[in-house]
Amino acid sequence: MGAQALAGVRILDFCHSWAGPHATRILADYGAEVIRVEYVPRLCALRGARADDRMYDKHPMWFQVNRGKRSTTLNLHRETDRDIIRDLVARSTLVFDNARAGVMEKLGFGYEDLKKLKPDVILVTMAAYGKTGPWSGYAGYGGSIETVSGIQNLTAYEPGSKPARVKELDIVNGIAGACAAMTALVHHRRTGEGQWVDVSQMEAATHALLGEHLLEFVMNGTSGPPRGNRHRWLAPQGCYRCKGRDRWVTLLVRSDEEWRRLCDVLGHPEWQDDDRFATNEKRMEHHDLLDELIESWTSTRYHHDVTELLGARGLAAGAVLDTADLARDPHLEDRGYFASSTDGVPGLFPGLPFRMSRTPGAIRWRGPDLSRHQKEIICGLLGRPAEDARPVDETEIGTAFDPE
Amino acid sequence: MNPSVKALQNVTVLDLTTQIAGPYCTKLLGGFGAEVIKVERPLFGDPMRSAPPFFGSERNAERGIPFLWLNTGKKSITLDLAKRDGVETFRELVRRVDIVIESFMPRVLPDLGLGYEALAKLNPQLIMTSISNYGQNGPYRDLEADEITLYAMSGAMYMTGLPDREPLSTGPATCQYTAGLHAYIGTLMAIFHRHESGEGQHVDVSIQESGIECIEMTMINHLRLGRRGRRALHPMVPWDIFPCRDGWAAVICGPFRNWWRGASLFEEPRLLEEKYRHVKGRTADRARVESLIQPWLDRHTREEVFHAGQANKLAFGYLASFEEVMSSPQHRRRGFFRRLDHPVVGEHEYCAAPFRASATPWRDERAPLLGEHNHSVYGEKLGFSAESIARLEREGIV
Repeated sequence: MGAQALAGVRILDFCHSWAGPHATRILADYGAEVIRVEYVPRLCALRGARADDRMYDKHPMWFQVNRGKRSTTLNLHRETDRDIIRDLVARSTLVFDNARAGVMEKLGFGYEDLKKLKPDVILVTMAAYGKTGPWSGYAGYGGSIETVSGIQNLTAYEPGSKPARVKELDIVNGIAGACAAMTALVHHRRTGEGQWVDVSQMEAATHALLGEHLLEFVMNGTSGPPRGNRHRWLAPQGCYRCKGRDRWVTLLVRSDEEWRRLCDVLGHPEWQDDDRFATNEKRMEHHDLLDELIESWTSTRYHHDVTELLGARGLAAGAVLDTADLARDPHLEDRGYFASSTDGVPGLFPGLPFRMSRTPGAIRWRGPDLSRHQKEIICGLLGRPAEDARPVDETEIGTAFDPE
Repeated sequence: MNPSVKALQNVTVLDLTTQIAGPYCTKLLGGFGAEVIKVERPLFGDPMRSAPPFFGSERNAERGIPFLWLNTGKKSITLDLAKRDGVETFRELVRRVDIVIESFMPRVLPDLGLGYEALAKLNPQLIMTSISNYGQNGPYRDLEADEITLYAMSGAMYMTGLPDREPLSTGPATCQYTAGLHAYIGTLMAIFHRHESGEGQHVDVSIQESGIECIEMTMINHLRLGRRGRRALHPMVPWDIFPCRDGWAAVICGPFRNWWRGASLFEEPRLLEEKYRHVKGRTADRARVESLIQPWLDRHTREEVFHAGQANKLAFGYLASFEEVMSSPQHRRRGFFRRLDHPVVGEHEYCAAPFRASATPWRDERAPLLGEHNHSVYGEKLGFSAESIARLEREGIV
């Protein structure tokens, strides 16, 4: 393993659920030492709904989103543990939380408190609506934020039909959280100065997914209604049935020249001279007919074959791959995308989100067993006595799914 | 703290990107303080300049709304990389910058003799970030793509939409924006590493692989449990949008611990039956639970649903129109929108910073006109005189 970009960066991670932990997962992938602080009476939702049979250590989703991190169990209401956390803050470059406004502050770990423990600390907060403003105390998940932000207006089968969610608001926000951390880390490395970066998940997702649409609304007072799989400006574009059960391919035509090429591939060069399809405007007008013609061709072919045939002619086409297709995709295999952890434990992961030639990053281990690094962190890193490294009290364990 | 210091002050970026992913990455770099020099084709510029919609619906290279959004905080120079003098000028610029970001099809720059290896010889500390549909190598490397095909090839589309219908594409350009964010992170990690080691490197961002991140949970369940992801309803109940008196409201049963107490807001005792206390019981009885919350929703407006849910510690929401988004009290109080003035399209509100960095603020600056900075960049960076720039313009090189 080569040098890692974030070697020497220690992150104290109070996040739970998906967006926050996804942010720190990216940083762990590239070498940061991420210490996940877990609260035994209410484990992270990704540890599942069962506390028996150590089920909380067995969820692949936990393995994925918390890969390469360390686990310590601490209770922010217990004085010894609070002291341990103060020690950890003093030795961390960066602290992450995704609590609503007021929660960490009430527990004595708001930005002002952290700064007293470590003057150059970086704090990244990822509250659903940000830590200021009238909604700062409100709770939000991807499913709430996608609506209140307006993003969900953009996706539906037909104008006026029930808006659909896209994949995946939590990930967009997780990546934005890592962007926030890197912005502050670069500044810290260049100047030695820490800061607080307030990520509002509503703002970050809006910025990335809705910015151009809001600008259109502001400038022109218009917005493109959702139109299923059709393109707002180009035709044809669609998702067409292929051979096999629930098999589909997507394609689009971006110019008259591409249209003529598609006619060749479809074996109907005479359509090139068909006045109904001669221009983009006319193709928009006769989209229903085009869809029928295209689908009658795709439906007798496999989705991979259509992608390849069109791709070879420089046309944009893409099979609608499912997870099984991806797992055996020759391109991803050629790029060595799916990878095992470097600790030798068997089992594949989705790979790193980008490739760095000199600091390649690595999946070091799967999401850790609960409290796995308790001694290593409390006794090893902090040099505290063994009795401070309290083992998990099985009777205290609760899950995020337990009703009150 | 001096709040006028920018995080990426004194970082210079040569930006060869077009479309969405690359320009979004460099928009963020510019916004956090880097000097971003966008290199555009003479006369035409970034093809996104001609992508609709246009301000006032008038087709013009300075009026393309996606372009105006994606290119704030940058400078624009023109340069023809298809001409030998253009390539030479580019090589001179590469010697004087920290970072090159590009989004050509992967074969293009190496064919021009401008691949990473060649550029790193000119500038050994160079960081180069390449953003492409399928990455810099592999059998799909040269495939053409657009958002719908990338969303399809990343596995996300298969799981979007309804089980009994065809897969549904994403309205926003999810894969491309996600890749832009990844490119920003990778570039900053490379800066972070270079500051200590003096080493540059090449960052390879595949939009397809970026998109697969969006289904990481489903993907790992497939890899580990052999469980194929499907288009499906949300596994928790209720966790969806439902019609209410004036539109769609999001009723979300999380945080789970708060549902039982909060559900009394629906004024429906049958919803408080013991079997619905745990989410498993509700999911097993989806249709009934959803029918029990509907009468209360029918009596209330979207905003009433949102605030009533929140008052009961539940993460409800409502589908806001763009008009409502622009006047959202949360956005207004936090100053999420800022006015930018532009010589052709005038003054408008744009989303400003994607996140608030207390010590290193965002730079609010409009998108550049085509070639607006030819004189300042070629003059300051390369010492070109006004006459030599004029000659290059006549020859169509800039």
